Amino acid sequence: MKQTVRVTVNGRLYEEEVEPRQLLSYFLRETIGLTGTHIGCIIGECGACTVQVNGTLVKSCLMFAVQANGKEITTIEGLAEGDALHPVQEAFINNYGFQCGYCTPGMIMAADSLLKKNPNPSEEEIREGLAGNLCMCTGYVQIVAAVKEAAGQVDNG
Amino acid sequence: MAKADPKQYVGLAARSKEGPRLVTGQGRYTDDFTEPGMLQAVFLRSPHAHARILGVDAQAALSRSDVFAVVTPEDIKRDTKPFRPGRYAAGLKKPIAEYAGAVDKVRYVGEPVGAVAARDRSTAEDVLESIAVDYEILPANTDVHKAIAGEDASVIYDELGANLAWQGTLEYGDTEKAFREADRVVRENLKIHRYSSTPLEPLACIASYDRFSRKLTVRTNTQVPENIYDALRDALQIDDIRVIIPDIGGGFGQKIHLIRKYVVIVALLAVKSGRPVKWIEDRNEHMMAAGHACEQHFDVEAAVKNDGTVTGLRFKEIDDVGGSISTLTIHFTNKLNNLSNTYKVQNIRADGYSVVTNRCPVIPNRGIGKPGMCYIWERIIDRVAQDLDMDPSEVRFKNLVQPEQMPYTTPNGNIYDSGDYPGLLKRALEKVDYPALKEEQARERGKGRYLGIGVVIGVEPGGRNAARDMAIFPEMKETPGSGGINGATIKLEKNGTIALYLGSPNCGQAHETTTAQVAAGILGVSPDVISTTTPFDSDVAPWGVAAANSGNNFHLYDIGSIIGAATQLREKVLKVAGHILDAEPSDLEIADGVVTVPGFPRRRLTFAELGKAAYNNQSLLPEGIDAGLQTTFYYTFPHAQPNMVPGQDRRVRAQFTFGAGAHVAIVEVDPRTGKVDVLRYLIVGDNGTIINPGVVDGQIYGSAAHGIAVALGEGFVYDDEGQLLTITLTDYGKCSTAETPNVEVEHAPSPSAFTPLGQKAAGEGAAIPSPAAIASAVENALEPFGVKVRHLPLTPERVWQLIQEAQA
Repeated sequence: MKQTVRVTVNGRLYEEEVEPRQLLSYFLRETIGLTGTHIGCIIGECGACTVQVNGTLVKSCLMFAVQANGKEITTIEGLAEGDALHPVQEAFINNYGFQCGYCTPGMIMAADSLLKKNPNPSEEEIREGLAGNLCMCTGYVQIVAAVKEAAGQVDNG
Repeated sequence: MAKADPKQYVGLAARSKEGPRLVTGQGRYTDDFTEPGMLQAVFLRSPHAHARILGVDAQAALSRSDVFAVVTPEDIKRDTKPFRPGRYAAGLKKPIAEYAGAVDKVRYVGEPVGAVAARDRSTAEDVLESIAVDYEILPANTDVHKAIAGEDASVIYDELGANLAWQGTLEYGDTEKAFREADRVVRENLKIHRYSSTPLEPLACIASYDRFSRKLTVRTNTQVPENIYDALRDALQIDDIRVIIPDIGGGFGQKIHLIRKYVVIVALLAVKSGRPVKWIEDRNEHMMAAGHACEQHFDVEAAVKNDGTVTGLRFKEIDDVGGSISTLTIHFTNKLNNLSNTYKVQNIRADGYSVVTNRCPVIPNRGIGKPGMCYIWERIIDRVAQDLDMDPSEVRFKNLVQPEQMPYTTPNGNIYDSGDYPGLLKRALEKVDYPALKEEQARERGKGRYLGIGVVIGVEPGGRNAARDMAIFPEMKETPGSGGINGATIKLEKNGTIALYLGSPNCGQAHETTTAQVAAGILGVSPDVISTTTPFDSDVAPWGVAAANSGNNFHLYDIGSIIGAATQLREKVLKVAGHILDAEPSDLEIADGVVTVPGFPRRRLTFAELGKAAYNNQSLLPEGIDAGLQTTFYYTFPHAQPNMVPGQDRRVRAQFTFGAGAHVAIVEVDPRTGKVDVLRYLIVGDNGTIINPGVVDGQIYGSAAHGIAVALGEGFVYDDEGQLLTITLTDYGKCSTAETPNVEVEHAPSPSAFTPLGQKAAGEGAAIPSPAAIASAVENALEPFGVKVRHLPLTPERVWQLIQEAQA
């Protein structure tokens, strides 16, 4: 029995009929076509599907689409404004903070969330803040450097 | 005189070309694509490590209207042919039919037994439950030593009669003499466990088949198009095959070999259903059945003179290759790549034993057998030092190949192109202030704090020779190829932009950024106007045997072919422009995409004007020239001889360029818990001429982090029944930002004498010496307890046990 979900994603309202068992990650990817949110484990271990729900960091594989009813979601596709990259995205490019790019959307969502809470994190705080997001390529050195660069540039308002 | 400068943009941290799409979620991975009418597939997998398949009843599944195709072992046997043994099975002397899916028997937990294609994935998963498989469970074999002792619990391949599936020897020089004349022989038993780089994107495939034109198209995240292409032809007997490879979410070798099984079965579902079929592997499936790096056991002995000179090395290697014969000898033959590491030793003998077990088949993984070979060398050198009461670095200095010996031919026929190994080691020791560090260590030990210093060195071979594996079987009838061939296409478009088309896929190594930097200097344009077309498409890509995101191939074959294609395009541009500008091509100059006649400012042509002439205006073209401004160049390594194909002496250029790195690990071990903290990790590396330092550093950081994590605990664990206990990333022990140490890199390049830019490889490098560095450091920390580190991984539990055992 399908259920109706009304959810705002990156500022646009979607009203969709979904199976109650559909995970939010699949809703984003398959129902509304935002494939920037990636799936690497589907049990909350890897962080590739990390998005922000009402400003809180959420692994979208650990939430049903129906649980997002009435909520506001930001995905990687909603971070840049117009043609201007978000400062965290820009910092990831400047620092080669990605390789294959598969963890990158989740990593950037987590970094953005971290910097909103703590605009000037220490290296230890950055490492703690990103510990829920696995990257198999980079050894994290350039990711940490990217977050350091973005710190202070991120508009906290 | 018009000069091309391939190095104009080399060495610059040019802005990433992949970056904008990857940081905005615009990367396009296999799972992001859909096709009209596309179905979803799931696999039925073996719950048993070893069992005979007595029967499969898929009637209930087949009778459902929402199921479009089912594949059972019977279908596999009837509708497909077995794979032909490739280079990874070079040691297979008896033909054994290996199909894409299990027939008759299952040999590891997770082995694909069947598959279902349905309207959506949930339906397919539900339907899977209704397929009944009747298994006769057989005893599982999980211990290689039992196989060596002739005590198989059961025989995995009836054709072989025993689980010891291959045995062979490689010998170079005269080891008997070296050991006879040695002052002492130093022995050790070592082991490396099963692990994987666990790419974050699992295996993925979309297959579609046009039955009327008999054309099969697969979109998949393989690292090596050849493996998929050949597998589909062999298994399905279809010749017209198109392999499309979009963005890949990490490879590391995991997406080279076993992926072919799944692509074949998904293609069979597409053939049967008449619909495009998508399959996306889940994480548990990946951990169980996508392939592991080999568990390798080594008995090592070194012939040593009392001054620390190592005159001979012998080792016996037992490989647990898992439940397949298709990668039987890969971890052994890959040791030919770095068989003598950085050392001068002339006498080396390796006795290889490959044992099939009821565990996941082994596959290439970042360096394949090379981390094991480096582990053998660096552990035994440490032992030699202890035996002679010398500093371990002193023993290394004593045995290193010297820079004035370059190019240096190793006993097994590799030719080291360039390198200053003593310089790398010396610089690494200076950077950490080794004497002061030793003092600090002694002081801290007095306070009950156990610091350890591990200093190791390793070569990083690059550019695969496809004939390498024949060294163990020179009489092999069907050679898997030889040397390396790969191409690139470059096109000047009508608007003056440049499009590159590479012959190989990219899975995170910034090929688009790096190739643009190289091509830009040759063509006289900014890298900004160059773009590389993805995805890889076998219908149009100029690809050959070296078209592999594997074997550290990119720096050699892809860069070589880009240079060739760009140089030819430049010549053509000058020819056409010279004709239009009425000047000798050799008098022209190119800068910023404008061709000029020096001294005549008004005689100029932009690339856009040239493009329009070349494609639109025949009257402007010189006679006898092909229209268009597009060139394709296939690169073959010009220095591949001698020893490209091994003869009876079994000498072979296993790889063609040789970087190197000295690694220093500084750790602290808590003897109460066994926990190891990496306080500092430094690499002084020779990656030859660096094209883009940001990219190369990333490769080094990532490969070092993986090697360190492998040494400190990540890995696969099986029980005695062959059940995998580590099917999630957490159980497996994947390291996050919190556990991964910061890695420091200093570059000390010795440009290759054999490559156009002096470039060498960077992708596998730091994963090769890092397990040895950690082992060395942990042992050094626990010296007061008398602990010897032989086996990896060094989980806290294992380290704690080592301390208890040493004290007992």
